[in-house]
Amino acid sequence: MDTPDDLDEYLGGDSALSRQYRRESAPAPPHALDRRVLGLARAREPDARGTARRLTPYLAPLAFAASVLLSVAMVLAIVFGPQTTKRVDDAPRLVRVAAHTDASTNPPLNRRLQLYSSDPKLARAPSAWLADIAALRRAGRDSEADAELRRFRSAYPDYSTGDLAIQR
Amino acid sequence: MLEAMEPLDEDAKLMMRYRDGDADAFSTLYARHKGPLYRYLLRQVRNAGAAADLFQDVWSRLVATRSRYEARAKFATYLFHIAHNCTIDFFRSDLKMRHTARSDDAEHQAEPEVPEYQRPDGIAEFAEQQSALLAALGALPQEQREAFLLHEETGLTIEEIARVTQVGVETAKSRLRYAIRKLKKSLLPAEIPVRSRYGSERFEQHAINGHARRLG
Repeated sequence: MDTPDDLDEYLGGDSALSRQYRRESAPAPPHALDRRVLGLARAREPDARGTARRLTPYLAPLAFAASVLLSVAMVLAIVFGPQTTKRVDDAPRLVRVAAHTDASTNPPLNRRLQLYSSDPKLARAPSAWLADIAALRRAGRDSEADAELRRFRSAYPDYSTGDLAIQR
Repeated sequence: MLEAMEPLDEDAKLMMRYRDGDADAFSTLYARHKGPLYRYLLRQVRNAGAAADLFQDVWSRLVATRSRYEARAKFATYLFHIAHNCTIDFFRSDLKMRHTARSDDAEHQAEPEVPEYQRPDGIAEFAEQQSALLAALGALPQEQREAFLLHEETGLTIEEIARVTQVGVETAKSRLRYAIRKLKKSLLPAEIPVRSRYGSERFEQHAINGHARRLG
């Protein structure tokens, strides 16, 4: 068993073991490695480091706020976005052109015509009705436009059609 | 882990200057510690190429984390704490690689892809070219070898070695004591083997030159 004195002697720095070890070769890192490490140490700009340190405390709250904003935007887009877009996209172009003043709330023209044809007593705003007729006319569906115009005249005999292109 | 106990040493002041943007302070620091660190790594992993990779890794970590440096202990304990962690990582990955190589060998009966220095002939050559003391040092268990190297290369006390290696003081003391006992045996004349005709100096210089060529 080693005695404590051996360890103390060794830790004192003057042991035969230490002397022998110091006589051994003392390899050093190659110069290429020196250059690489020193280059690495100088490559980091102090200003960049300082800027990073100054910005670091703000990055987390900013990232959190951005995440919340993005999440809310996505929820709103999911809840409201596709329905509005779909309605506009699904409607025939002629309806959007004809009823451009109220395009977002009007159902497609064909469905409306079908609805009103099935129940003539249903009231329809004269301007919207005329717009539908004009749209039919522009689409070349003259017979339907004529029929709609006749129904319009019977419902609103004294309504002025103005300059709307509803006549053949 | 590293506690505020010692007054600031000169190296810690240099490190703080480097942290604050003085690149010249790093050069001084590097010149002071590159030799001990390199020898610590070389004699721990016993391969010049791996030692050079670890050497660069240690300094890279030091540079990358410099903004968080606080002089709470002797600078050498900070530097060699990083070196200790890098070495442990190396031994773990090395062990895993050898385990994988063995598994592949058993499955495919093919020659495992292991570094040259790990092959039996490479190990034998390495051992042959060491002096008796360095050969004995290489034969020590890694923990005992590390304790000895930390004291010899950096002059760390047992308490500081314990901090660097993250063990208790008694454990560090025990490791160093066993290391000394085994190494002292290598110094006894009757037990000194015939030295290689090449000598350790030539081997280590050969290994360094080889790695320098590899670095280009």
